[in-house]
Amino acid sequence: MRTLLSFLLLALASAVAAISTSGNRLLVVLDDVADKATYSKFFADLEEREFKITYETPKSDSLTLFNLGERTYDHVLFLPVRTKGLGPNLTPKTLHDFVNAKGNILLALSANTTTPTSLVALLSELDITLPTDRNSLVVDHFNYDITSATDKHDVLLLPPPKPIRAGIKDFFSEGAGTKLIAFPRGVSAILGNGQLLNPILRAPRTAYSYNPKEQAEAVNGDDLFAAGQQLSLVSTMQARNNARVTVVGSAEMLQDKWFDASVTKLDGKPVVQTFNREFSKRVSGWTFQEIGVLKVNWVEHHLEEEGAPNDSNPEMYRVKNNVSYTISLSEFAWDHWIGFNVPEHDEIQLEFSMLSPFHRLNLKEESHRLAAVHYHTVFTTPDQHGIFNFMVNYKRPFLSHIEEKNTVPVRHMAHDEWPRSYVISGAWPWIAGLGSTVVGFLGFVALWMYSGPVDAGKKVTVKKTQ
Amino acid sequence: MRLTQAILLLAAGAAQAASSWSFDDASISVAAKKGSDAIKEKFSQKAPLTKPVGLGSTDTVKVILTAKEDGKAKRPHQAFVTIKEQETGLEAPFPLTVKDTGKAVVQISQKDLPVQFLLSPKPLKASVVIGSFGEARAVNTPVFDIEIQTDPNTPLPKYEAPIRYGKKPEIHHIFRPDPQSPPKVISLFFALAVAATVPALFISWLLLGANLNHLTKALGAAPLSHLTFFGSIVAMEGVFFMYYTSWNLFQILPVAGVVGIVTVLSGTKALGEVQSRRLAGER
Repeated sequence: MRTLLSFLLLALASAVAAISTSGNRLLVVLDDVADKATYSKFFADLEEREFKITYETPKSDSLTLFNLGERTYDHVLFLPVRTKGLGPNLTPKTLHDFVNAKGNILLALSANTTTPTSLVALLSELDITLPTDRNSLVVDHFNYDITSATDKHDVLLLPPPKPIRAGIKDFFSEGAGTKLIAFPRGVSAILGNGQLLNPILRAPRTAYSYNPKEQAEAVNGDDLFAAGQQLSLVSTMQARNNARVTVVGSAEMLQDKWFDASVTKLDGKPVVQTFNREFSKRVSGWTFQEIGVLKVNWVEHHLEEEGAPNDSNPEMYRVKNNVSYTISLSEFAWDHWIGFNVPEHDEIQLEFSMLSPFHRLNLKEESHRLAAVHYHTVFTTPDQHGIFNFMVNYKRPFLSHIEEKNTVPVRHMAHDEWPRSYVISGAWPWIAGLGSTVVGFLGFVALWMYSGPVDAGKKVTVKKTQ
Repeated sequence: MRLTQAILLLAAGAAQAASSWSFDDASISVAAKKGSDAIKEKFSQKAPLTKPVGLGSTDTVKVILTAKEDGKAKRPHQAFVTIKEQETGLEAPFPLTVKDTGKAVVQISQKDLPVQFLLSPKPLKASVVIGSFGEARAVNTPVFDIEIQTDPNTPLPKYEAPIRYGKKPEIHHIFRPDPQSPPKVISLFFALAVAATVPALFISWLLLGANLNHLTKALGAAPLSHLTFFGSIVAMEGVFFMYYTSWNLFQILPVAGVVGIVTVLSGTKALGEVQSRRLAGER
């Protein structure tokens, strides 16, 4: 009876499993719970994706990110708060530990409220630099919304962002059509040079960031924070443990009034819808590990020689063996796993390396399964013995990291695996010598045992007369 | 309601078409470090410079212009000279210092430029961006090109591109060349030369008087021993042949042992028979 009950509970628990790959407990930190109403559509979208949302103010006592060493929430969303600090429960170190424990953070900043020092400290640790002035605003006199920001030019209109380089998967601009993203009253950041930082949305070339309180008249040479595409409006950092931190420069772009609003760009089409709802869904989906998550299902390698056994994943290979390698990859798309297709102009590569790669080969798509794609190649092991690794190291912007390493020894040629001497044409004189020695020896033995003397008498007599 | 909105939009568009920013009295001068103005050229919004301006390592480029809104000199909020590198698209802004009268000036030397600009193979493109709040249309026009002249005595600054994740070039291991044999003709020639020594040997033996005269006598005296002895010697060569072609050491050792024992046992008798012929004076 007890086992039946516990079995039923287990079944029930797995039935309500999270849609996101890393859990569905979402904490929203905001100033007062009344703010919820201005973001109601955004939260409704999140709840539709089966997130369990807890709303807390920073100073509340019941707010803890960790309990007994484990995270109490899987994701945290920060909306702008007017307090200078975030309280003792959200210190920079706690947030840092949260990211180290694979928690995801989505920060929404605003030009109207100063960013709390804990968040500025966390971001500077990640090499995302916010302007040192506590008040800063991004404006663009060329790409603004003429219906709502005729004077102040602080509502930027941007086309949904295409990938910056060839080979990056396009998550954020698919299906946008002519819609534009509205970026009202936002803060921009400068990203460091690390490879873990990627901007989702960059400011247009003519945009710049200034301090409305001190630089209201003109922007002076020395005080300019940054301008143009150096400004990152939506920045991301994916840590090596795949935890994701996203900084959305304008919290107002997540508000209801900018979802499906009508905007007009200077010199643009008369009225265009905003792409904000879909864009916020994709940005939050990326941050909370619903898209861009990759998984290796299995790795298989075997010997591909004629007449040799080809059992999977043998313990050892030999120099100059033909080896076949297959890896199966899946990608998570919102609520289920699908096969992962490598983006165009990009390749997933296998490195067969000992200290440095001897082979770096592009893996080709071999077959599709329902929720996986197999990538495959065949190569020849180098003529160097040693301990080698099959390494697939696939790290790309906006995709979780794949590092699969299988170690295998590669032995010398065994003494009986070399080509025989009779197939080596240069050895033929030596083999002829061998054969002729044998024949000569046998002839000599026969002669010695069975021959009789010849002209023995004649010789003797000749000698005697001398 | 929609009609009034449309009229408002139209009016806003019309108003914007009327007022816009522009710049006038623009000139660029390149001065060497001494302070003397070497080259001074004028440009305007409609007439950018055609020849690129050279910027040496100790030179300073000075851009002067007067910003105007609707023809009246005014101080804009944004007055930048943006310099763009053509290879990578990297752009850097250089804000002009603007006075209330609208006169703006900026000085740029090689040390102000990012290191990627100094290493660029093509000339840099400079544009003037002037804009401000309100309805006046902002202006962004390319005005001149800058050619970086590097000092031949000082080495170029080093720039390492930051690591970015992406596919790397393919590597295929280059195998050591297989061991090669000389042409088969040469091998055949020498093999035949070696093999020819065997008949040469037998023929020379024959000429020296080789014969098998005592074979019948020996076989008559001790047939089994002689046959077994000679046969075991041939068998031993056969064992070596098997070792050469297919068997391994552990397979030939017992067989060689057996054959060896047969050789010893039969050899005593056979060679004893030969000794008897020698003692009888027949050899």
